Order: sequence, then C-alpha cells, then structure tokens
Amino acid sequence: MATSYTDSELSAYLDEDLPQDRMSEVENALRNDQSLVDRLTAIVGQRDAGLHTLGAIWRRERLSCPDREQLGSFLLGILDDSQADYIRFHLSTIGCRVCNASLEDLRTQHAAAEDVAATESRRRKYFQSSAGYLSSNG
Amino acid sequence: MTESSQPNVLLVEEIRRGKPEAWDQLIAQYEGRLLAFVDSRLRRRAASEDVVQETFIGFLTSLPNYDPQRSLESWLFSIAAHKLTDYLRREGRRPAIPLSTGEKSSGNWELAGGARQASSIARSGERHKMEDGAIAEGIAEQIEKWKSAGDWQKIQCMELLFVLGWPNKQVAEELELSEQQVANFKYDFLERLRRIVRSQRLNQDVFPELYS
Repeated sequence: MATSYTDSELSAYLDEDLPQDRMSEVENALRNDQSLVDRLTAIVGQRDAGLHTLGAIWRRERLSCPDREQLGSFLLGILDDSQADYIRFHLSTIGCRVCNASLEDLRTQHAAAEDVAATESRRRKYFQSSAGYLSSNG
Repeated sequence: MTESSQPNVLLVEEIRRGKPEAWDQLIAQYEGRLLAFVDSRLRRRAASEDVVQETFIGFLTSLPNYDPQRSLESWLFSIAAHKLTDYLRREGRRPAIPLSTGEKSSGNWELAGGARQASSIARSGERHKMEDGAIAEGIAEQIEKWKSAGDWQKIQCMELLFVLGWPNKQVAEELELSEQQVANFKYDFLERLRRIVRSQRLNQDVFPELYS
C-alpha cells in the first residue's frame, strides 16, 4: 500500500524540512508516482502565486521550537514534566529537523566536555598520586 | 523566538564591519548544529562539511539581504537546507520538481472569488513578507499564552493540524481528545488569525486555510 503524505508534509519536503527518513521516502516515491509529482508542482504553484500556509510559516519561523537553553535542560533532564513532554513530542512526533540537529550537537558537546573533564580528572589523579615521589627521585 | 536575538544582532553587526573574531564566533556557535542537520541526511562527513562550508559562504554573500530582526539560527538553517537541496540534486538523489506551475496543475491554486489567475496577483516580496510576519506574530503570541498557561496540549494540537497537516480525527486520537474538542481549538485559533487579517487589512485570499 502506498504511503500517504499530507500537503503540509510535501510543503516541508520542498523546504528540506521533514525528518530525514521521511525525506528519503518522499524522494523514492517521487520516482514512481506521477500524482505525487503533480501535487508537489501544485504546491510550488501556490507558493509562486503568493499564497501562505500556516504550517510553512510555523516551520520557517520555528514558532514552537524550544530554544537552545531549553534543549540543553531537556538533555540534562532538569525540565518539569510537562515541558519535557512537549519537547519530546516536538522532536519525535513532529520530527523537527532543526531541533533534532541542535540536540544532537548538544549531545556531542556534552560528551566532549565529559571527555575533557574525565581526562583532566585522570591526569590530576596520576599527578597527585605520583608527585610525592618527585623529590626523592631527584 | 528560538534564541536570544540581541547578542546576535551585535554579532552580525560586527561581521558586517568585517571583524574576523565575530565571524569566527558565529562559526563556532553554529557549525555543530548545522553539521548535525546536514549529516543526518548525507551520512557522509566530508560531504556534509562541504555543504556546511557552502552554507557559511552563502551566509556572507547573502548578508546584505539578512534582516537582523529575523532569527539568525533560522536564517542559517534555511541557507543550509538550500545548499543541501542543491547538493542532493547534483547527486541525482533528489528528483527535480518543475519550478513554475504548468497548466496541468494550475487549477489547484487559482484564488477563490473570481477568475483571476494566481500569477496575476503575484505581489511584491515586501508585501508577502509583511503578511507572513503578521501571521507569524499572531501565532507566536498565541503560543506564548498557551505556554504561560501550561496549555501544551493546544500547541500540540495546532502543530499536528497545521505543521503535519493531520485531519481532526487523527489529532484527536493522538492527543486523546474528542474530535469536537479539536474542532473547537482549531476554530478559536483560526478565528484569532482571521481577526489579525481583518485588523491589518491583509488580503484574505492569500490565506486559504483561514477561509476554507
């Protein structure tokens, strides 16, 4: 059975704004489905004509996206439940590409920061446990 | 708003003046998230880095067109999306879609209320931006009110309806609401936006969802 796409999703596809898996699905479907190509062409036409859609405005202006700080707090698990639930919804159900990318970046940064902290802590431990031998060896 | 805009206004101002430190700072601030965005699609680090590089170059060349009132992050991501699309087209991965409407599809987007062809009312970019901005502001204010009231479900409801384009029934099932509740939330939301269109004397023909 062919997967169906809403016009809002097709509009997001044009803006490279669907979740990556969904983007690939649409790309593949377009190779074999002329009606899908026609629908996309019509959406391009609506845009050419100057028509607005609420979804496109919402996505483009990122009207409900959490800010970077909120995403960081979400990652650390320090948001209240309702706000965390909303961010989870926004990331997973809506599949916001930009927020998912931002979260991924924050994860990488946190991991790198932890690495640095762990390395420093290790070096300090080595130093402290060995420094006492410096004078006797000298 | 998804970021603190004031520091970025100053940052962009410095970049406009050609300050390398400011440019370096912007790159450091945004390269990670842009790379994650591009690489989620390409899954090839070297190619993704090339696209991000083109994004930064694109930002500098488009700087005269950048409105500092607009979110810097959104602007950068929209450039990245364009560069990524170009890359995927060059690779043959993304099928090309006709850029102008053919006769075949024109019937779907003619404006209601007369025989006017849509192309005949193609308006200036400024006008389009103003309409876009007025509605964006209206939606943003509403979202802020819902957030303040902890009314996250209404935000979810509108996001499913308009960002994903789901029908009322599917939204109701997802959020465990009745279809009537979804319809009521939707009506209130659209009515608020219609009031904005009226009060700012915007052309209602360009917002088909508000009057369908």
